Amino acid sequence: MRRQLTAILLIGVLAGCGSGAGKAPGAAQGGRTEITLWQQKFTDQEDAWYKKAVAAFNKAQDKIVLKHQIVPADVWDQKMKAAQAAGKAPDVYTLNYNKVPGFARTGQIQSLERLIPADKWTGLQESVVGSIQYKGQKYAYPMLVEPSAVLFYRKDLFAQAGLDPNRPPATWAELIDYGKRLTTKEVSGVVTAGTAVDMAWSTWGLQWNAAGHLPISDDWSASQATDPKYRQLLQVYQTLYQQGIMPKQPLAPYADANPMGQGKAAMMVCGSWAAGVLLSDYPKMVPNIGAAALPSFDGDPAKPTATLGGWTLVVDAKSKNPQAAADFVAWLLAGDTTLLVDFFKTTKFSKYSPRAAVADAVKNDPAAAENPWAKTIEEQVVAHAKPEPTYDWAISLAFGKAIEKALQGKDIDAALKAADAEIKDFIAKNDLAGQGSGS
Amino acid sequence: MAVTTLRAPARDTRSRGRPAGRGRRRETKAALIMLAPLLILLGIFVIWPLLHAVYISFYTWSFYEAPVFVGLENYLTVLTDQEFVDSVVRGLAFTAMVVPAQVAVAFLFANLVKSVSRKTAAVLKVTIYIPAVISEVIAAIVFSLIYAYRGGILNWFLGLLGREDTAWLGETSTALPAVAVPAIWIGMGVASLIMLAGLLDIPEAYYECASLDGAGPWTKMFKITLPLMKNIILFLLVTGFAASLQFLVLPLIMTQGGPVDSTTLPNLFIFRHFTNDLYIGYSIAAALLLFAVLGAVSALIFRLVRSEKAVDG
Repeated sequence: MRRQLTAILLIGVLAGCGSGAGKAPGAAQGGRTEITLWQQKFTDQEDAWYKKAVAAFNKAQDKIVLKHQIVPADVWDQKMKAAQAAGKAPDVYTLNYNKVPGFARTGQIQSLERLIPADKWTGLQESVVGSIQYKGQKYAYPMLVEPSAVLFYRKDLFAQAGLDPNRPPATWAELIDYGKRLTTKEVSGVVTAGTAVDMAWSTWGLQWNAAGHLPISDDWSASQATDPKYRQLLQVYQTLYQQGIMPKQPLAPYADANPMGQGKAAMMVCGSWAAGVLLSDYPKMVPNIGAAALPSFDGDPAKPTATLGGWTLVVDAKSKNPQAAADFVAWLLAGDTTLLVDFFKTTKFSKYSPRAAVADAVKNDPAAAENPWAKTIEEQVVAHAKPEPTYDWAISLAFGKAIEKALQGKDIDAALKAADAEIKDFIAKNDLAGQGSGS
Repeated sequence: MAVTTLRAPARDTRSRGRPAGRGRRRETKAALIMLAPLLILLGIFVIWPLLHAVYISFYTWSFYEAPVFVGLENYLTVLTDQEFVDSVVRGLAFTAMVVPAQVAVAFLFANLVKSVSRKTAAVLKVTIYIPAVISEVIAAIVFSLIYAYRGGILNWFLGLLGREDTAWLGETSTALPAVAVPAIWIGMGVASLIMLAGLLDIPEAYYECASLDGAGPWTKMFKITLPLMKNIILFLLVTGFAASLQFLVLPLIMTQGGPVDSTTLPNLFIFRHFTNDLYIGYSIAAALLLFAVLGAVSALIFRLVRSEKAVDG
């Protein structure tokens, strides 16, 4: 009896542990190779486009079955780490430009050059190709670029405050002055990034603008965060916050354009993707909104005020079917342009293709006129923008924290010094020296 | 006045009327069989991962590269990282805000429930327990709305009293206490019910005797209630400490650790490293060091508030 009891208990435990064993990833389904795509959750329109694209791919050929999963941005990292730990990472996934070299360096993604034929790489913008390379190899296929910082402003509120609605602020002094005049109890004069994390990446363009370089040298061997030219950048944020021109508590994350649509902001700094949200969700507000580049610290409009971020598709290094995964990437991003043009149409021409054939088709599309700000953004922002930096996130965050300290009224020089020390420490502990593109 | 504490005589009723050796062996075997499922599960899901975590904390590794043995380097990196030390100190400050408040509120509430009628007590018990079944995510969202700078209920209410709007989650001085409030709220229900169970366990006869001796309510509280509640309070202090030092979701959703890291509690710090770092060793070492801190402080609490066995009541 006792032995029987022990056996039953053990079987129960083992059965409990053994349950849930699923089908091995990459298993063939009816003779077709199964691969998975993880796509970060974007807007509903973009998600619908991905679904349509996956269905079209599965219909267009009979060798590969692509399974598609949309993963919310705030759980992406946890989910991905858990999948990697279990050896169940997706074969293909969406990845930011700035993460590509780091992922390549740590062997998480594989080079696509041997998987996607050379002719499929032609016609890509050179600066964008630089962002997807590591040690001379291309590790991602670029899908789109979008400038990280554009100034959207309410023309009607400008007019009410006695400002010229067709003349956005051209200097930071003007922007602060306008912001003061436009701030009311219900409306913030300026809405922009207000947390270290958001400021860490949304100010990359302004970091270039203020100092002519980023807070780490091109070869990643030295910190440049104490360059006195950065003072002006931190000073601007400090003034905006301390004088109550920007909200004391962020109304939404930086990437969220809703505060402008909801009428809570007279001026809002956001990426070009805001145009898509405003056009789709707040059409009545659109005629009242203008767009411009952020001011340059020295008044030179030809200097960068934004970086070109955006999304790529990559193939996991442990994918059991890398060729099938790469075939999908090439089919979607390097093949027929119709589907991609539809993507840029869906997103209201608020993003830009780094591929000449697609960019030309998009430009010539009669519907492009739907986005009244596209031309301004392309000429004033995209034309001068820099590619996203590719160094570790910790470097960006260190500088983001410095701006946040300034925002909270702390001493600017001390904040820059702390960022400098943190960056130096990170370079030393992670052997970064010599790994940058300028090395 | 003197109130006598009664102690139950130590008796071993288990072996009464049985031949000691054989019977006990059989009982031990039966007990082990009963415990086996739990021990196996503990081994698989707690002991093995813990030992594995200790093992891999000596390596620099990712899921894609062969691990490289680095000895104690990960630990040294964590211990010399001022941000980690700051997060632990901040975590301790956070527990100092949360735990005493939680225990005090639970004590007051339990006394209130004890003193009202049965029906009212049932309603009060359900009311106080509701926060315990609400997920931390929902609590974080609800309190974020309460604290919202524009349109938040708190600022609206204070506005009625003529106070200027405050950025509760946006200022370094108010953010941590603002996050502590939902933490107290979430833990209050369970603490109150445990406290109430402890209060009801004290025989009424003690209070009646004390009344006959002329003891007032304060004397009864300090001479009867609190001494007999010592183990309950100790339990609540230790579990409350361990829980509040490990809050992750509240600061993650409400402030993302800001402003200026003023709400970056230890688990959020480790979580951020785990999700952002390209290599994992650092976050494992930090988690194990936090485990050591938790164990050390729990032991200290046990020592300071000595628990007494077999207090009759």
